[in-house]
Amino acid sequence: MAPKPKDMKDDFWKSKDIKISIGEIEEKDTKKMGEEVPMGPTPKPHVTDLRSWDMKLLDRYEPFYAPFCDMCCLCTFGKCDLTEKKGACGIDSAAQQARIVLLACNIGTAAHAGHARHLVDHLINDFGADYPIDLGMNIDIEAPLIRTLMGKKPEKLGDLREVISYVEEQMSHLLSACHTGQEGSSLDFESKALHSGMMDDLAREVGDIAQIVALNMPKGDENAPLVELGVGTIDAKKPVVLCIGHNVLPGAGIMDYLDETGQEEDLEVCGICCAAIDVTRYNDRAKVVGPLSKQLKFIRSGIADVIVVDEQCIRTDVLEEALNKNCAVIATTDKMCLGLPDMTREDTDKIVSKLVNKEIPGALILDSEKVGEVSVKVAKILAPEREKLKFLPELDEIQKMASDCTECGWCNRVCPNSKPMMEAVVAASKGDFSKFQELYEYDVCYSCGRCEQECERDLPLMDFVTKVGEHFVKDEKFSIRAGRGPVQDVEIRRVGAPLVLGDIPGVIAFVGCSNYPDGGKEVAEMAKEFLERNYIVVATGCGAMSIGEYKDEEGKTLYEQYSGDFDARGLVNMGSCVSNAHISGACIKIANIFAKKPLEGNFEEIADYILNRVGACGVAWGAYSQKAAAIATGVNRWGIPVVIGPHGSKYRRLYLGRADKKDNWKIKDLRTGKIMDGEPAPEHLIYAAETVEESMPMIAKLCIRPNDTAKGRQIKLNHYIDLYKRYFGVLPPDINLFVRNDKDIPITHKKEVKDLLEEVGWEPREIPQEPSLMGLDGD
Amino acid sequence: MVIKLSNDRVIPWQPTVIAGPKQALLVTPETAELMIRKSKRPLLVLGPLVKEEPLLSLAVGIAEKWDLPVVTTGDAYKAFREKDLDSVAYGAIEIVNLLKDPEWVGVNGEGQHDLVIFLGCIYYLASQGLSALKHYAPHLKTLTICKFFHSNADASFPNMKDEEWLKYLAKMAGQ
Repeated sequence: MAPKPKDMKDDFWKSKDIKISIGEIEEKDTKKMGEEVPMGPTPKPHVTDLRSWDMKLLDRYEPFYAPFCDMCCLCTFGKCDLTEKKGACGIDSAAQQARIVLLACNIGTAAHAGHARHLVDHLINDFGADYPIDLGMNIDIEAPLIRTLMGKKPEKLGDLREVISYVEEQMSHLLSACHTGQEGSSLDFESKALHSGMMDDLAREVGDIAQIVALNMPKGDENAPLVELGVGTIDAKKPVVLCIGHNVLPGAGIMDYLDETGQEEDLEVCGICCAAIDVTRYNDRAKVVGPLSKQLKFIRSGIADVIVVDEQCIRTDVLEEALNKNCAVIATTDKMCLGLPDMTREDTDKIVSKLVNKEIPGALILDSEKVGEVSVKVAKILAPEREKLKFLPELDEIQKMASDCTECGWCNRVCPNSKPMMEAVVAASKGDFSKFQELYEYDVCYSCGRCEQECERDLPLMDFVTKVGEHFVKDEKFSIRAGRGPVQDVEIRRVGAPLVLGDIPGVIAFVGCSNYPDGGKEVAEMAKEFLERNYIVVATGCGAMSIGEYKDEEGKTLYEQYSGDFDARGLVNMGSCVSNAHISGACIKIANIFAKKPLEGNFEEIADYILNRVGACGVAWGAYSQKAAAIATGVNRWGIPVVIGPHGSKYRRLYLGRADKKDNWKIKDLRTGKIMDGEPAPEHLIYAAETVEESMPMIAKLCIRPNDTAKGRQIKLNHYIDLYKRYFGVLPPDINLFVRNDKDIPITHKKEVKDLLEEVGWEPREIPQEPSLMGLDGD
Repeated sequence: MVIKLSNDRVIPWQPTVIAGPKQALLVTPETAELMIRKSKRPLLVLGPLVKEEPLLSLAVGIAEKWDLPVVTTGDAYKAFREKDLDSVAYGAIEIVNLLKDPEWVGVNGEGQHDLVIFLGCIYYLASQGLSALKHYAPHLKTLTICKFFHSNADASFPNMKDEEWLKYLAKMAGQ
């Protein structure tokens, strides 16, 4: 695959900031991989090297365990019941929960590391190990995680191999700790999970940087193009190729083949999940169907003629589902072969022939260029044949089938969200499809298909939902800004001070999957609320898509209403799951560019800075995967709190602070050396909220930091109070904990806050100038 | 299908929350009342699924009849405040975290609670919270009076249809 020009340009020359950036850019270090640099204490930290930092976090944010299973079934001693008992190996329930969390983080990290390894090796093969890592003139700190953790600046693609090798080495140690008879302490398991999460962050940075530079994706471009989103944007009259998963390479191969053969107008290429986001970063003619919650419904709709799967978050029964719709499946990575014959070395036309003649159920093709050619050719042959097929029952047929329902209610019981599927079926039997419509809209039913498997009448309930949804498909035309990748250094310079001082109330990152408790609209509404409140809102993955699926009264999506600047009221789609690395990366850059903290080998000082001074909060409202566990745990180690939805409680472990324990919040003022009383800011590191209404004030609260200026604290408290009063009707009962002196009290709530302060016997306290956890006990 | 042949009333409402051999005791309103009577420092935790009528009034009735201190979770606080019921708002996860600490002083400062009655929290989240208390809070008992059987509680109402459940709650509220 040759490097090729694209529509999306960086456009930095016409940036309004160019003058400022040139004036302010310092010639920072130019350390290259292999060169000697002034090094901090922990370059390439091993599993235990950051343990003391972890213990500081875990002392303040004690792990909260909620076992999903009482037993351990990992070895042949078991099963062992760990309810108030130890297992045969000696492990107790808390350590077992922590062990499973570590295992989940390792799985997530391995998924990203495997993905990144594949990208790096493939792109080096295509472009050479010396291909430069150049993110443009506005991004000098191109890889803040690599610089901090490896202690080096990556100059070329080949340098990324060293990083991913380091991650793989650490992963071996971390995974080995999960073996029976290794670690026995829950806290040490947690320290390892934090290390695993940090490795995940590093692997994601490697993967995204590799694809951005080699595939010429947007390089921090705030004006990245708007791309089409939604089932309604897809012209089903054309042959349709659907990409599902996370790896851009097969999708890029398809777009390249279409361009090279001049067929770009003849086919529709669309995607579900992060593959969609990354293919549109590569070529903005591709379209985004939507988040993971669309997967089964879209396959059942029969719109796709060919389904190309790569890796992660793909339904493992995709082949069975596709065959039911006479749709061809091409598997493209070693992560998911689906039992298909390996056709990688076969002649292209022979593969096409075998697929269209149903001689093989699908094909495994481990060559993205060949995937491009085969998928296009197969789609063009299958599309006219499939046009005559009927994929879904008609409404009158649904009504008839629905009358067979026995009203046993088990569809509702097995639904992860206990949604009223039975009631929808009963209503449909009377010709009323409105309840199915409610399930369809905003993916309130995210089509896991459990209900269908449980139905004693074998009713094809997902077909019902999809058919009723067809009526609305024409209106499902939205937009999403193509993932722009990292934050520019000039943007960090612009927002660094107002963020650290609190004038911009915070950075809220909507990330993760679509296991929402009540549909994707809630995420869009949350994003809108914080945009209107002057926060910087960033998004990745399925969260970014859900935000795009919401239109205001004028029919505009949030991406059309708000700029892509990393600034107050900016809505920044950074990209896919791997682009999450740029969120922690932005926080690291604030410590480096704004506060001049050195990066190389200097993890703890940077994390301590972020925890105490950068008001950032992640929101993974629909987190479901092991990758999401690794991502959240990774950002937690950097000091960034995360709010997850109620399903997140099933991860078994949260990190919760205790606001009622004053001693837990002691901090050291690095300026004076004094140990002093602090405040619960941020109060939790990872927290599961029950409802959106509960989460909103919590998110605002988790942006409070000990070093806010009085003005900044007023702004943050104003948002916290305002949201709390909206949903709870009263002042937050803990507001006294966050008022340091009279100057912190928001003017609009002055009287009622003062009354509350008087009622609880509040007294002003000293404000630290450089709050830190470093230098406390144990240092 | 085999699972459906056994007693539906004591299979967890979401059947896959079954965590292990220890299962909740099935209770009637009478047994639930006995548990409350026996308790020295009970606590009622009310979630967002009971913030609408008629459940709202029934929950208020139960709190008032038994003079129970109340914690509201999610965004339930506002609805109960408008019914003049005093409560303390906590996240479901936050209150469970406090309950598992034997040293916590309780919502009214009189010491850790010895019985916690849950009503109206989201099922799977409540199940996780109950699991945390099952494993790490031997100092207290949990009772759920939702219309769903909660296997991770110490004692639970069975799965019920609305009509029967409302009668159960009315009985507990002395109505």
